[in-house]
Amino acid sequence: MTLGAPAALWGLCAVPLLVALYLLRVRRREHPVSSILLWQRSAPTPAASRPTRRIERSVLLALQVLAAGALVVGLARPAIVGRGAGAQALLLVLDPSLSMRARDVVPTRFDRARAEALQAVGSLRPGQRAAVILAAPHPVVLAPLSGDRGRLRAALAAARPWDAPGDVAGAAVLAAQLAPAGDARIVVWTDGSHGPLPALPRVVYRIVGTSDDNVGITALRVVRDPQRAEALVRVENFAGSARRVPLEVRRAGTPIYRVTLALGGGESRAVAIPLALEPGAPAGPELLEARIAVPDALPEDNEAVALLDPAPLPSVLLVGPGNPYIERVLRLLPVARAARTQTVDVSTWRTFGVVILDRVDPGPLPPGNYLLIGTVPPNLPVGASGILARPTIATWDRTDPVLQFVDLDDVRIDRALALGPSGGRVLVEGQGPLLWEYTGRGIRALVLAFALQDSDLPLHVAFPVLMANSLAWLGGAAGEVPVGEAVQVPAGGEPEAALLFPGGRRLRLRATDGMFVLPPLERAGVYRLTAPSLDRRFVATIGGSHAGAIRPGAAPLPHAPSGAAAAPSEGLLTEVPLWPWLLLGAVAAAVGEWALATRRHGGEA
Amino acid sequence: MRKAGSRGEESSVTPALDREPTPPRTLFDPAFLQKLEQLSLISRRRVRGWQRGERRSTVQGRGIEFDDYRAYQPGDDYRYIDWNIVSRLDRLFVKLFSEEEDLDVHLLVDASLSMAEGTPTKLALAARLAAAIGYIGLVNLDRVSVAAFTSAPGPRLGRLRGRGRAFDLLEFLAQLAPSGETNLALSIRRHLASARGRGLLVLFSDLLDPHGYEEGLLLARRYRYQTFLVHILADDELAPRLAGDLRLVDVETHAAVEITADAEALRAYAGARDAYLRGVERFCFRHGIDYLRTASSVPAEDLVLRYLRQGGLLR
Repeated sequence: MTLGAPAALWGLCAVPLLVALYLLRVRRREHPVSSILLWQRSAPTPAASRPTRRIERSVLLALQVLAAGALVVGLARPAIVGRGAGAQALLLVLDPSLSMRARDVVPTRFDRARAEALQAVGSLRPGQRAAVILAAPHPVVLAPLSGDRGRLRAALAAARPWDAPGDVAGAAVLAAQLAPAGDARIVVWTDGSHGPLPALPRVVYRIVGTSDDNVGITALRVVRDPQRAEALVRVENFAGSARRVPLEVRRAGTPIYRVTLALGGGESRAVAIPLALEPGAPAGPELLEARIAVPDALPEDNEAVALLDPAPLPSVLLVGPGNPYIERVLRLLPVARAARTQTVDVSTWRTFGVVILDRVDPGPLPPGNYLLIGTVPPNLPVGASGILARPTIATWDRTDPVLQFVDLDDVRIDRALALGPSGGRVLVEGQGPLLWEYTGRGIRALVLAFALQDSDLPLHVAFPVLMANSLAWLGGAAGEVPVGEAVQVPAGGEPEAALLFPGGRRLRLRATDGMFVLPPLERAGVYRLTAPSLDRRFVATIGGSHAGAIRPGAAPLPHAPSGAAAAPSEGLLTEVPLWPWLLLGAVAAAVGEWALATRRHGGEA
Repeated sequence: MRKAGSRGEESSVTPALDREPTPPRTLFDPAFLQKLEQLSLISRRRVRGWQRGERRSTVQGRGIEFDDYRAYQPGDDYRYIDWNIVSRLDRLFVKLFSEEEDLDVHLLVDASLSMAEGTPTKLALAARLAAAIGYIGLVNLDRVSVAAFTSAPGPRLGRLRGRGRAFDLLEFLAQLAPSGETNLALSIRRHLASARGRGLLVLFSDLLDPHGYEEGLLLARRYRYQTFLVHILADDELAPRLAGDLRLVDVETHAAVEITADAEALRAYAGARDAYLRGVERFCFRHGIDYLRTASSVPAEDLVLRYLRQGGLLR
């Protein structure tokens, strides 16, 4: 049995309310009659005034409760999961999102989903095949289509939930691509808490989870300049009811801030905590920890960490025909090293933290951090479809760190590339994207759609601020990465390094092409990469500000006719929806109650 | 010589109940009135009237209906000597005839607030029935008195006689409106105390009297009236269409009773109703009171032309 919209079960609270109202209702409708003589003679018994008698004898109440119960359970869209007879392929998709670690389902939503998937694998018949797909931020096939139950079970057992929202839609599409034509069925276990689920042919969603009770830390950042530093903590109440949330911030293990936040349902609050910078403080990274002490269904997001140590200054390489504006800015900005070259030699880029590509065709970019000016590489999800003449800047995202304190009013542009991104984020937009941000595949990139010579941007105050922000964002990649990203760190000549996970696990890494390629980070926390001449720490943060939203969503209505009629031929697992019968029962009970309440009692004299 | 209506006829109409005067309504159509003219009231006992009428009197006299013989006495009218008997027996006998006198018909209409129940209302049906019976009486030269009663003295119209007073009768009945409480015993006592002739008493009521109906009906019997009771109940009183938790308020007394109108309560009501109606039937049977029970939804024409004839009030 599964529920398509388990949140609807909260409606069952109305049933005891209905009974209570029935019991407590003391107001009687006044009805004038010609005489009460015969009513007085109809000899009421003392039991008639006993409240429970009305429950015992009231078919009306029973029908009301039945109608309400059937309606509520029907709205939860229950369905019976059974074994089909004909399908030869079953694609099992597990959502490993952070919300799937919620404990409102025992032991967790993810464990429940995995148990059901294992059950489905156990029910495979000879000749039938199954595949396991993990709907991670980048969906992965854990086990391709196979009839080997042991392999499928091992893949399911190895699956772990992540500290980031998964890409359920992408995983469903991937499963649809893997599925053989016609005779296949895709079963997706998810809580649907991160937006609507796509209705796809042959896809059946199993919604797990019942509660939205979660309060989490959605951001912990340290903002610093040479004079001061500030910690920003954002706490969000994802539940519908108000909560009081005690927040504590520790610096190097010592509490420095305590407050109790009163958060209404769905409300968030940001707290700024000034941090003292002590010139004589010991060298090395300091940990800043934030913790909220509140019992909820998802304790994983009740803690967050950040590194307080100054981010290493980036070394910058400018590749291009020469640009006096950029070169002047690079002389002014705090960078470890700045160099310029006119030749595109990828092998020389590895030793630089940030590479600025100014109006040159770089070819496919290797992993690294890039500021691309008036050029588009072939291996990013963005293309240039032409030239925009005299585009005007319409909007820009002032909240993004790259555009912080950047005022683009009155900036004129003569011409720009007509960018067509698919993914990433558009930071500045006019007639088309003018500044685009991308993180993925080991690449962190900013693409400016116009050359500086084609605009008056270098003459505005916004230019050095934009460059400083861009270099800070690109160069700070090593300090903070979102969970799910594959991090690449320059090896610096080291052949081997050790990666220490937040839980204490250690993994040996070998350098490839002068880079240490870290596996995708599944857990939030502090990671440490060490080698004889290398000691880097970086923090994996919970991806997305809505990762802590755990309210279960609803499965979309079936794309194609399904249910009892379609079940025998559709797949190994079939779903027989019960909600039409329950809604029909609710209507029947309501009609029966109405008919009983209004029917004519007694006989003619 | 006494003028019609000059003796004992209370020709003035008492002011109506607390309401605005309304124009007389048409209670019956002419065709129905024609049918009524073919009917007459049945009096099961000989009456002693005041004027010659079409009713057999307790007094023997100049009627046309043969009653008895008696020996001739000096002074008897020769025209009544039966010459056939003289020829056979050689003795003089005179034929005696029943005097035909008028009948006093008393129509008592319950006009309490409870009579406003039903569709049409019980009072409307009572007024139509009273109009029909009264009209029959007037056509047959009976003396018709009609009174509306509640706990307070109601309007009354006394001792009408002759077809010419039919309009007064119909207008009086058409203007009746419900008000006040029922007090059957008090009302009958008040009416009979002021009535002169003994005769036929037709009572129209729902008998929903918290004081009981027995005393009033016994009073009519004690005054030696031939009593005919028309018991009118509304459909909702016979089979109430109620559901849920209710506070039933008596429209007359404003007393209330709280009920939960479920199937059990309605069954109990049906039991009480049947017991009550059986009690009324037995009481009337025991005391020689003619009794007819009807729902207010039954057409008055059917009641007059069919049920009242079967019930022995009309022929």
